[in-house]
Amino acid sequence: MLVELGNEMSLDVNFRAQGLALAVRQAAVAGVLDAAPCFATVLLHYDSDRIGYDDLQREIARLAETMAAAGPADLPSRLHYIPALYLDPWTRACIEDYAAKIAPRGYDAEGIAATNGLADAADFARVHAATEYWVAAIGSWPGLPFMMALDPRCRLSAPKYNPPRTVTPQGTIGLGGSSTCIYSVESPGGYQIFARTPVPIWSAEGRLRGVGDPMVRLRPGDRVRFLPIDRAEYDWIDEKVKAGAYEGAVVDYHTFSAGKYRTWAKTVAP
Amino acid sequence: MISVMKSGLQTSVQDYPGRIGHMSLGFPPSGPFDSWSFRLANLLVGNPGTAAGIECQFLGPTLRFEAPAVFAVCGADMSAKLDGVPLERWRSLEAKAGQVLEFGAAKTGARTYIAVSGGLDVPVFLGARATFQKASVGGVGGRALKPGDRIAMLPASSDARAGREVRAEARPPLDGVRRWTVDVVAGPHDDWLAPEAIAMFLSSPWKLSGKSDRTGFRLEGPPFAFAAKATDKPPENGSDPSNIIDFGYPIGGINLAGQTPIILVSDALTMGGFICPFTVPTSSFWQLAQSRPGDLYDFNLLSVGDAQTARQRLDALCTVDSLL
Repeated sequence: MLVELGNEMSLDVNFRAQGLALAVRQAAVAGVLDAAPCFATVLLHYDSDRIGYDDLQREIARLAETMAAAGPADLPSRLHYIPALYLDPWTRACIEDYAAKIAPRGYDAEGIAATNGLADAADFARVHAATEYWVAAIGSWPGLPFMMALDPRCRLSAPKYNPPRTVTPQGTIGLGGSSTCIYSVESPGGYQIFARTPVPIWSAEGRLRGVGDPMVRLRPGDRVRFLPIDRAEYDWIDEKVKAGAYEGAVVDYHTFSAGKYRTWAKTVAP
Repeated sequence: MISVMKSGLQTSVQDYPGRIGHMSLGFPPSGPFDSWSFRLANLLVGNPGTAAGIECQFLGPTLRFEAPAVFAVCGADMSAKLDGVPLERWRSLEAKAGQVLEFGAAKTGARTYIAVSGGLDVPVFLGARATFQKASVGGVGGRALKPGDRIAMLPASSDARAGREVRAEARPPLDGVRRWTVDVVAGPHDDWLAPEAIAMFLSSPWKLSGKSDRTGFRLEGPPFAFAAKATDKPPENGSDPSNIIDFGYPIGGINLAGQTPIILVSDALTMGGFICPFTVPTSSFWQLAQSRPGDLYDFNLLSVGDAQTARQRLDALCTVDSLL
């Protein structure tokens, strides 16, 4: 069962989605096997031998009503600095391969720049890296973050691939609609792609360092800032990662004020 | 212990129902694609239907039993032989230490399941032994089997014996089928399609593309027309009519990516930003699992209630009552 809480990407709708999923877990509704929140929805996986569709719908409506109308005012929020090589050779090669084998297309960064009124690919990379991102959900592939730009001036939009790629390199950074993701493993994908990070965001062996969870770098409510780097820096970090010596750059002493954010976002909205 | 001599094509250890409850970490259920055949194989050897066994795809492996075991082979016909002697599917058999179980290519259907009494003993990750290769977890080293792998077995049930057989009427009718009638339920995004596109989807045969695997089954067929909801929407959805703000994908969802329908099967991604106008109930997964590229699907619309009844009927067949 898919519970829809809105058709927009906003902090407030995301608070409701995360809040409802948490309420479902805390209420331990009999027969509910999983509650997976994303930007504006919660997917419920349930055992229909234990709870029927109609009963579940009633139960969820009740939980949604009793949930606080507003999300939390202040919450702890980690800030991750993720180095990113924009306009990198790997996503270019991936696009060229797709264009040769599946459907013709140009480089994604150029297309996104054109449709969002930006000068060129470099200008797009500058705007994409100029905001903090809100981690709205984890899902899709293990540890993969779905993120939205917190600075309204950096809200871009890109149509998703038609048809999707059958392969995307691990660490690729992509934009689909107004959602930014980091591909946590090599996988199919539909987002437009234009950058890559050498920093692993998922480790099956539990080898992540400098973050609380050795398997999953990010969690909902975290923020991400991309640090544009050059190829030499990419290779240097990549070597440290491979040697098991890379520590994530994480700030863990911030409190995120939703109220102050709303006020600020209004003052800078284009 | 079982030794892998030849790996076959993407042969993996799976358990049923797989890794449930971790979609918000990005984990699909994995598990056997045709859980009907898988559960029957387990029941034949005295296991609960859930125990870890082996899934073979299109081309089976060659395995050596390092210890005596009761085993069973269910699903597609891959010309299984024990020490060179052809053996029958759908029955429990005995292997002596040192005997070699060998498979060829699937003659009919696509996936074959091997159960051994006691079940396979591989580490449990997030509550399941099922292999999920995309994340390199579960099964043997989080990957498909390789020559030289040695897989431990849990102690056999005292109930294990050769000579059991699945009743003919309790077996999935997979042999020789190349055109399948597959159930679907409407939603969650059927209202993003134009009414004529819903009619078109339900009346057209859909061809299974060769670019299909346990992460997704791509279909080929006519293009879709969309409702206003798909074209008149906020930009954060993405401009293509099939684009939506990312959401949790239902297991079995028929994802419409641009104009390509992709059925989200056992190892599919758990969230994404393409609409799912229809969903294949898990009771029909065995048909997907046993079909081959080029096969045709005709989709049959069911209510959610009827799909749940179909699942209960299938579960009722996956019990010891189905054995002779």
